[in-house]
Amino acid sequence: MDEAAASIASSPLPTDQTLRRRKSLVFQLWRFAALNLRMLTMITKGSH
Amino acid sequence: MARVVVLGAGISGHTAALHLRRLLGKGHEVVVVSPNSKWNWIPSNIWVGVGKMNTDQVTFPLAPIYKRKGITFHQALATTLYPEGSAELASPHVAIKYTDPSRLNETANLAYDYLINATGPKLNFAATPGLGPDGYTVSVCTAPHATEAAGHLAAAIAKMKQGERQRLVVGVGHGTCTCEGAAFEYTFNVEHEIRDAGVRDMADITYLTNEYELGDFGVGGMTFTQNGFETTSKLWTESLFRERGVNAVLQAHVEKIEPGVIHYEQLDGSKNTLEYDFAMLLPPFRGADMQVFNAAGEDITAEVFAPSGFMKVDANYTAKPFEEWRAEDWPSTYESARFPNVFGVGIAFAPPHQISKPRTSPNGTVITPAPPRTGMPSGVMGKTAAMTIFDRIKMGSSATSHKASMANMGAACVASAGTGLRRGSAAAMTMYPVVPDYQRFGPTGRSAKDTFGEIGLAGHWIKYMLHFAFIYKAKARPLWYLIPE
Repeated sequence: MDEAAASIASSPLPTDQTLRRRKSLVFQLWRFAALNLRMLTMITKGSH
Repeated sequence: MARVVVLGAGISGHTAALHLRRLLGKGHEVVVVSPNSKWNWIPSNIWVGVGKMNTDQVTFPLAPIYKRKGITFHQALATTLYPEGSAELASPHVAIKYTDPSRLNETANLAYDYLINATGPKLNFAATPGLGPDGYTVSVCTAPHATEAAGHLAAAIAKMKQGERQRLVVGVGHGTCTCEGAAFEYTFNVEHEIRDAGVRDMADITYLTNEYELGDFGVGGMTFTQNGFETTSKLWTESLFRERGVNAVLQAHVEKIEPGVIHYEQLDGSKNTLEYDFAMLLPPFRGADMQVFNAAGEDITAEVFAPSGFMKVDANYTAKPFEEWRAEDWPSTYESARFPNVFGVGIAFAPPHQISKPRTSPNGTVITPAPPRTGMPSGVMGKTAAMTIFDRIKMGSSATSHKASMANMGAACVASAGTGLRRGSAAAMTMYPVVPDYQRFGPTGRSAKDTFGEIGLAGHWIKYMLHFAFIYKAKARPLWYLIPE
């Protein structure tokens, strides 16, 4: 196994709960709002 | 009356032209020169490349928009700059050659008071023998390329359904490529499509990249804070590769491509091959390769453009070791180093150095991603140049320049990992600033609060929303300017 493959093989897998959260409509609606707000804040922080 | 000529109608040039038209009164002329008749929302090309969108969903004709907004449009290629004028025309001007079918190969000179070079990348497939649609691989750089890629992918899926195992390679086709994020996106969209087709067990998918490690994305990687711990984009990305069963070949410079075989060199100097049935490899970029002449008719191209064809602007181009790179080396006004009424924005400006640490193989081959400067930073640069020009037209040439350095600018990258309003997924990442500032932010070079990543369905919704929002903006629909770049 080469270095890249070994590194991938030793990386953490998401738990079942994380995978469910990534697809949960309710949780993702909340994340959609939160991520948009976070991105907008970050964008407006720049010098432009 | 002033005339502003914008070369290029991609994200940067189109943004600059629309803002100039909005800001300047009707007494001033805004002219756009672009060899393409259509505007393309390039981030959605990856969905065209898997057959989930068609060309018309990611492009629209520029001419009607420019007609409605009062912008003069020439479908033509800029070939030569005369910033001091020429024997033929005393004022600064640019020579163009029409690609418009009704005036094909006709030439003209366009005089300007201000010029914005937003010519974007020249897709340099020729840098790697066998690379690209004229060779043996496909691309998603343009909408027609992506349509062709979708056809090849569908054929590969059909073979898998007939029981024929397929080897799919997605990545970059040269050691100095940029846009690794797009290759990453396409990798996982391909994986998603194959899984949806029920033949995932028949596919070997490999991501082939010039990145030193996964998660580099040409920006030297990122450090995120999650659940009270610092984690790296490397670990985060590797986890996704493991979860989705995708292989990776890192630190690779593709030397040549033959039918079914990719030849590449790695940073340790080893030469290897990778067999494939389907390969989408992005090309390296060059500048538009315009020539520049002074009033005496002498070729001064080397004073205005870097050897890469990108325009030299207000950056510090002094060669120095990686450890001495500074955030302030990066340009902020995008004014040409030689002519203050000429600006180079978006991909067209020459970066002072890479963002990822430069590395060279024992054979002397440079294997390092070039700095990404697409999308949001491109739009911001276009708007910044437009605002400076507006001020100079209104207040005189001494008006202070507006500034937007990539070392003081954030960027959001929403990397799709599969489509579908219920089953889609994307890696939503932001970083601030794009160019790390180690003096200001310490060892990570970026703000811990504003640099984060998250995988999930919400990321897909954001990317889908951005698709419609930016096409709305580019069509200059009502209140378009309220949508941030």
